[in-house]
Amino acid sequence: MTPTHFSFTTAFILGLMGLAFHRTHLLSALLCLEGMMLSLYIALSLWTLQLETTCYSTAPMLLLAFSACEASAGLALLVATARTHGTDHLKNLNLLQC
Amino acid sequence: MTYLMSLFLIGLIVGMVAVASNPAPYFAALGLVVSAGVGCGILAGHGGSFLSLILFLIYLGGMLVVFAYSAALAAEPYPEAWGGWSVIVYMLVYMTGVVVAGACMWGGWYEGFWVMESFKEFMVVRGDTSGAAFMYSFGGGMLVISAWVLLLTLFVVLELTRGLSRGTLRAV
Repeated sequence: MTPTHFSFTTAFILGLMGLAFHRTHLLSALLCLEGMMLSLYIALSLWTLQLETTCYSTAPMLLLAFSACEASAGLALLVATARTHGTDHLKNLNLLQC
Repeated sequence: MTYLMSLFLIGLIVGMVAVASNPAPYFAALGLVVSAGVGCGILAGHGGSFLSLILFLIYLGGMLVVFAYSAALAAEPYPEAWGGWSVIVYMLVYMTGVVVAGACMWGGWYEGFWVMESFKEFMVVRGDTSGAAFMYSFGGGMLVISAWVLLLTLFVVLELTRGLSRGTLRAV
């Protein structure tokens, strides 16, 4: 295992643990999700660059398009939560549930 | 070059620890900016200059502006930086975990090749620049699918934040 592989794998696992353990803000969870997407982009790009295959260099850009979709849907949910509940704390989403 | 790339790799991990250790969203966005900038350095050091440029322009320029706006929307009067107690406990736990994982892998490192000279198939331009053009010839199906997904996401966002009598936000 090279130090590069260790580095982006550790970055992905750190983002996953932050997403799993964050309980305060919705925006922090979305930022952890973006960090996971960043490490996946770096991983796919390094896969292209180290195997020396040019055909695979479209894969990180398609991943970036899909992560743009994910980020915009998450931010729309954030705006909807801020308009209905007044804040984006995840604690308030459990109040008065029916 | 090896020292610079090692610094970039350590900076990637430290940036992700700063995101994952649950500070206020202002500072988490700052950690994500650091991590993305260092990731550009990693890709450029491995020889993928076009992919690095894509990451810098699209990711930093497009998404993080939107995230900074949303951090301003979800603002709070006293944001919690990395000096707070819960955040510093999370940071110490995560850094300890990273160091323990690195120590477990310590015997098995081998020196990767850092900088690529050129790709095998193209000799005139860089390989990743010309490989991205495959998206318009062989990868046309995926191009159509991702354009369709982006259009669908536009309507999803418009329906989520509509607000009047129809849609998901009927309370406002």
